[in-house]
Amino acid sequence: MSDKSGLPTGKHTLVEEGTEFKGTMSSSCPIVVMGKVEGDVAGPVIHVTPSGVVAGVVKVKSLHSAGELAGEVEAETVQISGRVRDRTVIRARSLEVSLNVQKGGMQVVFGECELAIGDEPNKEAAVAAALAPPAPGATAAAPSDAKQAGGKAGSAAPAAESEEASKRRRGTQPPPS
Amino acid sequence: MAGLSRDEALKRIQKGEKLDRADLKGIDLSQAKLVKAALERADLDGANLEGADLSNAALRRSSLREAYLVGVNLTGANLENADLEGAKLERANLAGTNLTRANLEGANLTGANLSGAMLSYAQLTGAKLGGANLADAVLTHAELDEAYLGGVSAAGARFSNASMAGANLEDAILRGAVLDEAVLHRVIARNADFTGASLVKTNFSGADLTGAKLGDADVRHATFARAQLAGAHLTGAKVAGLVGTGLPLGTIDVTWLDLSPAGDGTQRVENGVIPSVLTVGAVTQTVADQVRRRYFGRGDVLRNATLAFDAGAQVEIDSLFQNCTINVGVETELVIGPSGVLADCEIVGAGFITVHGKFFERHSPGIVGARKLMVSARGAVVSTVAQSDEATGFAFESGCQLRVKIIPPGQPGTQPAAKHEPRTSQERGNR
Repeated sequence: MSDKSGLPTGKHTLVEEGTEFKGTMSSSCPIVVMGKVEGDVAGPVIHVTPSGVVAGVVKVKSLHSAGELAGEVEAETVQISGRVRDRTVIRARSLEVSLNVQKGGMQVVFGECELAIGDEPNKEAAVAAALAPPAPGATAAAPSDAKQAGGKAGSAAPAAESEEASKRRRGTQPPPS
Repeated sequence: MAGLSRDEALKRIQKGEKLDRADLKGIDLSQAKLVKAALERADLDGANLEGADLSNAALRRSSLREAYLVGVNLTGANLENADLEGAKLERANLAGTNLTRANLEGANLTGANLSGAMLSYAQLTGAKLGGANLADAVLTHAELDEAYLGGVSAAGARFSNASMAGANLEDAILRGAVLDEAVLHRVIARNADFTGASLVKTNFSGADLTGAKLGDADVRHATFARAQLAGAHLTGAKVAGLVGTGLPLGTIDVTWLDLSPAGDGTQRVENGVIPSVLTVGAVTQTVADQVRRRYFGRGDVLRNATLAFDAGAQVEIDSLFQNCTINVGVETELVIGPSGVLADCEIVGAGFITVHGKFFERHSPGIVGARKLMVSARGAVVSTVAQSDEATGFAFESGCQLRVKIIPPGQPGTQPAAKHEPRTSQERGNR
């Protein structure tokens, strides 16, 4: 259960704005940080609001931060906006950062930091795949028309024009009745 | 703390007591001196604060729904996240007030002074701001749909990414304002003054810009589909990538337009070309874009090459590049397509880089000075990224693979690589 801003509405551990916590925090329910936490934090989910600061070692399943992060973050999924301070390391299965700051979107200012997200990309395998001949029947990739990213990436190749459609376009085939 | 009387409330505020979370619903504090009052999260719904002095007051997350605040002084006050829905704020002094994320839906701010106010992400749908002073105010990401902004004075104000669909901006002064990527769909902006404003990627579709002043405005990549431009002034506007009206223009006042991608005045167009730029601008630009577009198809292999692409070019790579250096100009779009692999390569320059494929650096930093780096769900990047002077914008889609170190600009080893002559003969697959 969460409210419109994504914060949990059920039982949760709350560090209110104006509160500073130093030390080790471990919780079995979602943690919401509106104030400042320095130290080790462990729990299933942590939400850092725009006024929140978390500095230290964070080990959670899921992290949502619109505030300030510093230190080491280990999580399955990470969704961030706000600020990532210098000397921060983020290790996660998945990371989501949005550039287009539309309604409800996010924007991140990164300090000097390291991101280790997903499996380590394999250069040799990537080169080998690029050198391999295309699979039979596969069409050559076409340039993407999706110019502005920040939106959903991925550029599907346009479907090949059918012979009939091609003939119609050239005026050599009547339109289907 | 329920139902304080006016006298009790004033006494406690004057003693410097905090009235945070106080129940002050419907209270009459008109003309009261409430300087620096601590009223965070207080409930002031329907309160009468006419002419009160609340300068520098702490009203964060307070509720002032339908409150009567005519002529109130809120200079320097903090109303972040406050709820002012339907509040009456005519002629209020809100200079420098923090209204970030405040809810002002349907509020009446006619004639209010909002100069230098912070209204980012504020909700102003249907609000009345006629004749208000918004000079240098910050309204980035604010929602102003259907709001009335007739005759506002908003020189230097920042409306980037604001939503202003259907708003009324008649006779508004927006000289030098920033409205990049704002949505001004169906806006009525007759005789509005946008001189020198930044309107990059602004959506003016269906807008009524009759008689509007757009001279020297930066409207690159803005959309004017079905917009009315009769009587508009456009001399010196930067129009690269503009999407035209698709409608007859009527009489417009324009001597020349700047078609250069960088908006630096190097490609002036005059007379005969102007109508086509403004009506079917996209077609004109598409021709130019195609000339400037480079595509490296799947199956091509490029090794040990140095390539340079000038400002504004669009480059897409679905090939294998090994041990290559790519120098990109300002705002060059470099897309590594889904099949593209750049192994042991480097990308240098203030471009917009999108990675759907894979990028592996040759040496650290492999990406230097990019304005934007976007990695899609299928993309992978193994590189140190030296940010641009203005801080690189990053976007990562869930599913991407990253081994990325982000460093600030100007660190040792982050100097741009020596610029080599482009090997244009190797730019194969040019569309």
